[in-house]
Amino acid sequence: MEIIEKIKTNKLIDNQTEIQKICLHKLQSSPLPNPKSELWRLSNKSKFSNFLDYSVNEENPKLDIPYPKNSQNAIRLIIGENCQIKLIDENYSIQQLSDGELNKYIKDQISCFDQNENWSELLNLSLSCTKNILGLKINGSKIPPIEIFSHASSNSLNAKTLVIFLEKNCDIELLQVNLGKENSSLSQSTFFCLEENSSLNHGVVSYGEKRSNLVNSLNVIQQKNSEYNLGSLHFKFNYARFEIRIKQSAGKAKTNIKGMQITKKDEQISTYTKIDFNGPNGFLDQINKSLADDKSHAIFEGSIIVPKIAQKTDASQLSRNLLLSNLAQIDTKPQLKIIADDVKCKHGATISQLNEEELFYMRTRGITLQEASKLQLSSYFQEIISFIPVSKDRWDLLDKLLNEN
Amino acid sequence: MQSKMKESDPILEVENLFASTDNLPILKGVSLTVYPGEIHAIMGRNGCGKSTLSKIIAGHPSYNITNGNIIFSGENINSLEPEERAQSGIFLGFQYPIEIPGVSNLEFLRVSTNSRRKFLNKEELDTFDFEELVKEKLELVKMDHAFLSRSVNQGFSGGEKKRNEILQMALLEPKIAILDETDSGLDIDALRIVATGIKKISNAQTGIILITHYQRLLDEIEPNYVHVMSDGQIIRTGGSDLALELEKKGYEWTDNFVKET
Repeated sequence: MEIIEKIKTNKLIDNQTEIQKICLHKLQSSPLPNPKSELWRLSNKSKFSNFLDYSVNEENPKLDIPYPKNSQNAIRLIIGENCQIKLIDENYSIQQLSDGELNKYIKDQISCFDQNENWSELLNLSLSCTKNILGLKINGSKIPPIEIFSHASSNSLNAKTLVIFLEKNCDIELLQVNLGKENSSLSQSTFFCLEENSSLNHGVVSYGEKRSNLVNSLNVIQQKNSEYNLGSLHFKFNYARFEIRIKQSAGKAKTNIKGMQITKKDEQISTYTKIDFNGPNGFLDQINKSLADDKSHAIFEGSIIVPKIAQKTDASQLSRNLLLSNLAQIDTKPQLKIIADDVKCKHGATISQLNEEELFYMRTRGITLQEASKLQLSSYFQEIISFIPVSKDRWDLLDKLLNEN
Repeated sequence: MQSKMKESDPILEVENLFASTDNLPILKGVSLTVYPGEIHAIMGRNGCGKSTLSKIIAGHPSYNITNGNIIFSGENINSLEPEERAQSGIFLGFQYPIEIPGVSNLEFLRVSTNSRRKFLNKEELDTFDFEELVKEKLELVKMDHAFLSRSVNQGFSGGEKKRNEILQMALLEPKIAILDETDSGLDIDALRIVATGIKKISNAQTGIILITHYQRLLDEIEPNYVHVMSDGQIIRTGGSDLALELEKKGYEWTDNFVKET
């Protein structure tokens, strides 16, 4: 594990920024996450080791974006490539955070980090050089959709960080795409701060090529009356983990999450979510789907934390899983930690195979087994994909990607 | 009763069929022959094997044929996949039509219709041409166009699901339709709509097998033959008056018949 050896000797990067120094220092004492913790217990050690085997690459070779430019004049940003942006319109403004603002925010975050729980962010921030950190503050309304791309180039480990402040009453649609080239590792950390009455429709689409790896962490802080909607899709990674941490800082906020991971061959993809209600009248509706084929392994572990202050919380977490092969494996563990006594919380998990009766019904209408399975799978995907904010003209492409998978 | 000379070959011949699921015998020697233009009704108590017979003819993978043959249009179809049977003209109307969330009814109907058309060497229909065809067929079962944009059977009432089955039958133009308790869960008006639809679709070239418990469907569609099933066998065959007698005397009467034979 090349990276870890370098962290231990603190010889990772020349000209380290202050943030990198802080994070590297934190990691030096225990450079690897605790394998016994719930967050890492089921992580495949050899695959994780492969993630850390590549050398850090601060360069960003030009990326061939597989998405065509859409017709809605979306704002497209590629972290590391064209991070300069300053758009001031009659109705809205999108500006980069100043170095001071960005450093202060990240340092505040780091001061709250737990060494084990936030290991992914610590690694990311210790590897992200200044040009690979994009910080934005956005306000206003009628904002065009925003697309943000991160990618890892072949035979290297790339670290990208995104920080976005949504100011009061702001309303945006943002699609984040993480791409892994052949034999690569991408470390992506994202931080959102949603101020009062702001709303974010967030899509995360992550997919790789042969033997690509991803550690993707997402941290969201929601102030009162904010709404955060997340639709996510992760597929085609040798090893990928998606860690979601959402905090409703004063309650009375809305969170909707619909996520899916698709694993094939010997891939391992996992999703961890922690939703923390820190005030009354919070709302959560979460569905996570896994689809595992061949000898692959999909993991979901979700926790909802409702302390005493979070009365009248209304939270639902559902894990739905499809096993397509006898050798595939799915682990799922939705959890509730409730101390408040006046709440409405539910959780559940199902693991099933393709519905035989649905398949038979379709086959009695002349639809082949293969077509019927495809129709059934696309209906399984539909609920999640329809929640990802991607414009209609790019749906065909997403469809193609799913078919290829 | 079926020994009289027929002018054409049978559409379907079930010959001494034995079948089981999980090593449990369900059918114990069923024989049945359907000629073009004929309507057959199969009646019997719950669990006597009526629905199983329909599923086995349609090719349900959970059942094994342990003996006997199913001959369709002169070909033994014992080893054909369900989709191959459907494409060649066997239609099964489900007692409980399956809901398929996320799959639009229109797309489902189009893919099904095209699979049958392909078999018949007819040109496959694109979405626009198919919409024209389906509009015409919707009239038969008095279904609203809005049903097409919904997921297959999802949120449909019992009657709407059964009408959707008949709509599929109309689009697929099968050679033989096996309708498994199509009358269950229908009110009088819906029953009449469904029965009218079936009558309009059937013709001198098609065969129909109605599986039912009640006379009321047979009041609307008069069968040529009525078969009574018990314990995996057809124990009696007669004309439409057999159903009336059964309605009057109940299935206990058929128990006596078994004892007598």
